[in-house]
Amino acid sequence: MKMKLLVLTLACAVSLPSFAADEPVVVIAKADVDAAASAVAADDDQQTEPGSDEVTSPSAEDLAGRLDSITEAFTEARNTLDNLNRMRFSGYIQPQYLNDERSINELTGVAATRNRDQFSVRRARIKFAYQFSPTSRFIFQPDFGTGGAPTLKDGYVEYTEPWTTWRNTLTAGQFNWPFGFEIMYSSSSREMPERSNVVRTLFPGERDRGAMLSGVGFGERFNYRVAVVNGTGTAQTFDFNKRKDVVARVGGTLGPLDLGVSLYRGAELVSLTGLTRGREFDKERTGIDFQWVTPVPGLGVRGEYIRGVQPPNPGVAQTVRAADVDGWYAYAIQNLGTRHQFVVRVDEYDPNTDTNNNATRTIGGSYIFHWDANSKFMFAYEQPELEDSDPDDNVFTLRYQYSF
Amino acid sequence: MKKTTITLLLAALAMPLFAARPITIKGSDTMVIMNAKLAEAFMSRNPSSTIQVTGGGSGVGIAALINGTTDIAAASRPIRTSEIDKLKARFASTGFAYPIARDGLSVYLNERNPVRELSLQQLQEIYTGRITNWNGVGGNDATIILYSRENSSGTYQYFKDNVLRGKDYAPRTQTLQGTAAVVNAVSKDPNGIGYGGAAYAKGIRFAAVKKDAKSPGIVPSLETVRSGDYPITRFLFLYTRTRPSGAMKSFIDWALGAEGQKIVSQVGYFPVK
Repeated sequence: MKMKLLVLTLACAVSLPSFAADEPVVVIAKADVDAAASAVAADDDQQTEPGSDEVTSPSAEDLAGRLDSITEAFTEARNTLDNLNRMRFSGYIQPQYLNDERSINELTGVAATRNRDQFSVRRARIKFAYQFSPTSRFIFQPDFGTGGAPTLKDGYVEYTEPWTTWRNTLTAGQFNWPFGFEIMYSSSSREMPERSNVVRTLFPGERDRGAMLSGVGFGERFNYRVAVVNGTGTAQTFDFNKRKDVVARVGGTLGPLDLGVSLYRGAELVSLTGLTRGREFDKERTGIDFQWVTPVPGLGVRGEYIRGVQPPNPGVAQTVRAADVDGWYAYAIQNLGTRHQFVVRVDEYDPNTDTNNNATRTIGGSYIFHWDANSKFMFAYEQPELEDSDPDDNVFTLRYQYSF
Repeated sequence: MKKTTITLLLAALAMPLFAARPITIKGSDTMVIMNAKLAEAFMSRNPSSTIQVTGGGSGVGIAALINGTTDIAAASRPIRTSEIDKLKARFASTGFAYPIARDGLSVYLNERNPVRELSLQQLQEIYTGRITNWNGVGGNDATIILYSRENSSGTYQYFKDNVLRGKDYAPRTQTLQGTAAVVNAVSKDPNGIGYGGAAYAKGIRFAAVKKDAKSPGIVPSLETVRSGDYPITRFLFLYTRTRPSGAMKSFIDWALGAEGQKIVSQVGYFPVK
């Protein structure tokens, strides 16, 4: 009895992997075939005249009629399916736990605290895409994360001209600023929890409202994007000045090396002390970026440098001028197999290049474990430090992401 | 006894962990029969290797390569720049391409159709909807019924890029899952036209294709595809994320060798060497 039990257990254990196969196995039992045959026979019986044993075959007209009705039903079903096929859904959710050295167990108001250690849903986004013709599509992406009310991240219509191989595309609505690499690189793919300091500061929210022309050429080795936007980002409902901002990037691919040059030229109307109607300041950014697949297997390096002119914050004295700013970041990403990624990132942002000791440099790293095609875990640690001091503000993030 | 039982049980449970991991090939439906036969022959010569072959379309295979769920992607079209960009971002790799066979993309006509040859220009005008009646290309007075592959197919994309020159298919084009379905539809429809790999073409006639109105019509064959005289030829590819090693390298080397290329010919494609 014990031996039988042992053999049975071993057999079950060995056969377990067979049931874990990815591809579904369809088994048609003989009983199913017999049942289907009986159903056909029963259907045939309905052709028999009452009181007669003779089985009459359906006429050619009957068959043609049946075929027409099946064709009609099939066409309707296919049209419905075609419409559904035009719709695409994708999305991801990022629950996380964050531990921040700045956390203090102290209330600063009835519903406010200096504690930053918490569980949260950093992003919860669903992207709807509807391809209403071969050359045009509609994109809508709300975000339900960060604990507040849902916000619109992307909402635009695209029209791609069908006449040339450049696939020139006009986009209108709310979309990413076409500047550099990190802004347009999806948060679901990024190897660190948040974008680098310089990008977060100079391009808050990463999106704006306007119209953009983009395309690819020379065997897809060259690409361009030019947009005219409000310049306010998405946090403000109105554009306070009449002048519109222009932002553009041109990029090229040289095998394992991708290069890009970006420009932003605009202005911002800022309210100052004693001058509530505001004064217009130039807002400028110039950037270069690169992404390199190194000869070391699985090692990728990317970086970006941005410099520009940043208007002052609202409410400052009228004597304050726009500041010259600059910043950069560099990533090194090492893949091991298909599941493991080790990442190091260094970034720096100087809010005024004319002043000493005010730049912030952040050194961070992460390990990413790709559980399967849909889910991954990220363990990240970041250490920001000033030029002359290192305050207690390091951050550890444990994040899980599920995408579909 | 209890210890022995537990040890055996643990050993049995752990067996799958130590077993050689199968190599997976996913992608082009055009290539699925060829890949299955290559895998079958390779496994019979290398019993310790396991190769799993599935279809789904070239786009599906390359997407699986990008998200790490297949070792090899089979594609009947070159990988796109946007797909290479995703590979670069996720795996710091530009991918490795292995042209494993040549294919003459055949244009299928029903056997009762009197039209024998079509130029590339005529094919473009037919599939973009500018020519809608067979009498526009010397045939009967009958509406042309267009059959095509679904848009995840590499064959669909190749035909669009190289015959339609990037233009869109006419909206009334009927898309079908798999080249076999296109062949079947054309074989039953006297006014139908379709396209696909030579390997599936049974029971219908190939149109002779002309490079332009003055050129002679060429029917796809070993000679015309190899020589490049047939105007619609393409390579069929295997793509990997990293430079192949171990069993994967052995399989690709073998498929590109004499034995593998013989199987390529047997299933109706054309060897690359």
